[in-house]
Amino acid sequence: MILAAPALDTVTIALAGNPNCGKTTLFNALTGLRQKVANYPGVTVERKTGRCRLADGRTAEIIDLPGTYSLIATSPDEQVAMEVLRGLRIDTALPQVVVAVVDASNLARNLYLTSHLLGLGRPVVVVLTMDDIAQGRGELIDPQMLSLRLGVPVVRYSGRTGEGLDGLRAVLAEAAIAPTPPLWSLAPAMAAEVDGLAAFVAGDAERRRNIALRLLTGDQASDLDGARQEAGEQLVLSRERLRGQGIEPMEAEIEARYVWIDSIVAACLTRGRPPTTSLSERVDAILVHKFWGLVLFAVIMGALFISLFVVADPIMGWIGDGFDWLGAAIGGTLAEGPLRSLITDGLIKGVGGVMVFVPQIALLFGFLALLEDSGYLARAAFLMDKLLASVGLHGRSFIPLLSSFACAIPGIMATRTIASPRERLATILVAPFMSCAARLPVYGLLIATFFVNWGPLGKAGILLSCYLLGIAAAAAVAFIATRLLGRHGQVTPFILEMPTYQVPQLGSFVRAVWFNTWAFLRRAGTIIVSITVLLWALAYYPQLPAERVEEVRAAALVAQPAAATEDERSLAVDQAESSARLAHSAAGVIGKTIEPVIAPLGFDWKMGVGLVGAFAAREVFVSTLGVVYGVGEVGDDDTSLQQAMVADRRSDGRPVWTTAVAISLLVWFVLAMQCMSTVAIVRRETGGWTWPIAQLVGMNVIAWIGSFAAYRIALLVWP
Amino acid sequence: MSEINALDQLSIGHSGTVKSIIAEPTLHRRLLEMGLTRGVLCTVLRRAPLGDPITVRVRGYQLSLRADQARAIQVTCLAGGGVS
Repeated sequence: MILAAPALDTVTIALAGNPNCGKTTLFNALTGLRQKVANYPGVTVERKTGRCRLADGRTAEIIDLPGTYSLIATSPDEQVAMEVLRGLRIDTALPQVVVAVVDASNLARNLYLTSHLLGLGRPVVVVLTMDDIAQGRGELIDPQMLSLRLGVPVVRYSGRTGEGLDGLRAVLAEAAIAPTPPLWSLAPAMAAEVDGLAAFVAGDAERRRNIALRLLTGDQASDLDGARQEAGEQLVLSRERLRGQGIEPMEAEIEARYVWIDSIVAACLTRGRPPTTSLSERVDAILVHKFWGLVLFAVIMGALFISLFVVADPIMGWIGDGFDWLGAAIGGTLAEGPLRSLITDGLIKGVGGVMVFVPQIALLFGFLALLEDSGYLARAAFLMDKLLASVGLHGRSFIPLLSSFACAIPGIMATRTIASPRERLATILVAPFMSCAARLPVYGLLIATFFVNWGPLGKAGILLSCYLLGIAAAAAVAFIATRLLGRHGQVTPFILEMPTYQVPQLGSFVRAVWFNTWAFLRRAGTIIVSITVLLWALAYYPQLPAERVEEVRAAALVAQPAAATEDERSLAVDQAESSARLAHSAAGVIGKTIEPVIAPLGFDWKMGVGLVGAFAAREVFVSTLGVVYGVGEVGDDDTSLQQAMVADRRSDGRPVWTTAVAISLLVWFVLAMQCMSTVAIVRRETGGWTWPIAQLVGMNVIAWIGSFAAYRIALLVWP
Repeated sequence: MSEINALDQLSIGHSGTVKSIIAEPTLHRRLLEMGLTRGVLCTVLRRAPLGDPITVRVRGYQLSLRADQARAIQVTCLAGGGVS
């Protein structure tokens, strides 16, 4: 037995448990709002910590570990849980007490992880959750007997009523003695090999046996590196001897644990009545039914999608208007010049551009919390898995991809629900191919201007084609990317527990909305504001010399028809000045510089400037074109930009904007990555610049090839 | 003599006990850890509307897995255990 560290003022306690075991509900109950959510450095696994006061007055630092089935990790989440519990992370103190959260309605499977936790050499407290569900099934669990058999305190906790929390605080305060690691009977041949191998490892007898067993069963954790070296080829020989007798060490050990678990379950669990079909299984008969399951799925996903547009869209409009008003109000108090422009067009626009995402992110994460807590998210993945697996993705990729039709930012953040790293990364990489809401104004402008004679059905058909092209590109890229990412074509297994259905709790809904929105503002917001300011600078500097401004204004005034009113004249002159300023700026220079690159797609430098502007947000393309063409801000029903575009001529007199150019530009907008907010969020979610840059380059190369092909083909049809 | 079959071959509603698992180590370990040890009863509850994955009841809870993974699990079919 090992004595824990002497009582200090604070004690570190880790909550460990299977996914869906009620661990987070317990964490929320223990810590209230005294929580911190961050990331473990180097990985995109959420690090949730909080504080709580124990019965003896000491403060406890509670770590809510990611849900895990085992201490042998198969995903980054599980790796982090294992590393924290074994004290292998320099960023997290070794927990002094381990709380094993055990779902009473799924006792055997949950006790498997507990069997590992009991061997950590740290005091363990078992918290039994969801006892009400077990009782509803007629399963009565005797906590005293369970405590006796496991050799650790067992506390019942009800997430619904909060009952058991005070008892837990008292038990945690007293937890100081590590349990004797449970002994399960191994086959004699296996036990002999464990003893033989233990001779080659340093430490006391108990530790040696523990390490020998872990080595033999193929545990790859880094705390065994030394022992693995010490054991050397003895380990290989031991394994070979066992396999020669038909014993696979890993299988034999897990089976031995389950034999031990089965004996405990038999001793502690009494069945009041014979097992019946559970409520969840009866609900599933409808929710994942061959026909009604798909209908309900479509209804639920439709509601999610529509809410992202119908509920979030007007709020986003108000936020946008609010920041426009703020910009104008502050701008009015400042003198004309670089400072005013920086504040109104750089900073305020940048902050507004960040805030505008908040409604969608809050809504999507609220929705996700409801779906996750109710148990439906796993069913949704089950329903859609076949479809997504055909292109190498996961059933859980569906909601992130659907959300990306509204906006890729919340969509990419929602990929956190995908446990396997390969499928998650592939989903992040293809999410921006989904035509987001910001592309609609561009599609709208081009379709309204260049397909005037197509009728409403034809126009809708073009719009639909844009969406379909994006989906097709996403499928193709996902198909290729998952094959390139998978080592030797290895497929991450889809093994997904279907949790018991539960009524979601308001608290976790509010928390999900708050923490995700806050995380977005804090970590992606800063990058988005910085890039907005950079883009502002590109469009503002270098400034047009004063004498050139006068020339432009004079020329514009002369060009006005005699019948024009004073207001019209002054507006036209101002617009001409803005246009000339933009053409002279770095953005204008970039537009002209990239003209040779985009000329094969049918684009000229004005579109190039628009594309530079579109990098702030795609819809900015329309307003940038408005400035380039000197028609000012473009409203929804404003046809002045359309007229200016149609009238524009190249130096040889041919129109700049043809049907072929419009098609080429539509294809470009479907396929190109030109949203810096997405780049920022991909950097945050993948933990580095490699993937956002690969995605940026890759998508734009695909877009160039796609636009080029579309332009050349369109030229044959509309020469 | 009971029939031995891969789990993905079992019809909906039918049960079998796990006989052996033949899979690469990571999948093998995870299936065992999820409670699919030798002799454990599994019942195929349903198939997804698109035909894959399947949901099985094992040790009192529901587990979904793709046919690819279910194929790795050999089960001894119980009386009346039809095969699709």
